[in-house]
Amino acid sequence: MANLYLIDRPFAESALGLLKQDADAEVVLIQDGVYLGNGASLGKAKRVYAVKRDVERRGLGQFVGSSVKLIDYPELVDILFANKVLNFA
Amino acid sequence: MAQRHILFTINRPPVGSVYFAEGLRATVGATAGTDEHTVDVLYLGDGVYFTLKGVDRTDTAKYIETLTAAGRKLKVEQESLDERGISKDALAGDIEVISRAAALKLIANADFTAAF
Repeated sequence: MANLYLIDRPFAESALGLLKQDADAEVVLIQDGVYLGNGASLGKAKRVYAVKRDVERRGLGQFVGSSVKLIDYPELVDILFANKVLNFA
Repeated sequence: MAQRHILFTINRPPVGSVYFAEGLRATVGATAGTDEHTVDVLYLGDGVYFTLKGVDRTDTAKYIETLTAAGRKLKVEQESLDERGISKDALAGDIEVISRAAALKLIANADFTAAF
């Protein structure tokens, strides 16, 4: 079980601060948080996911890094239940 | 459900929304009932503005009083204060300042977290 940071844009700054020091972090970018998938430093995060629908609706497909895994809502639910969620959305 | 340790993080500033008060209400609620969960409250980001000494506590004083009586002190992250140029002497007297490393320990110690 990792610390799973669920990040939307308004509270991203707080999440990124903690992420810098958290060696047990995974990240889900959601809603406007998916803009962070375009090169933002996500600290030591072991895995970074972005909600596929939120990426596609913003036309960000080519801007989201290849290390970011796109997920649908059923996958998001599985990930949320498998980890300790820190909500920044 | 058995007793759990819950970390409540408050990211939103006071005034203009119900989150800052509802977060504390939920925190008190978690300590009640048969499970008597234990709690921590941590202010992050713009949430730290709640910890200023001049903030109107009309809607929150009773919750803070209850938490204080239970031995729980509201905590605020030092780095979030620093990023906003807020020094410790600007804070209310019942607030505990902790480092980001200590905040991560609170996260590690929590069974789960809730955000407001």
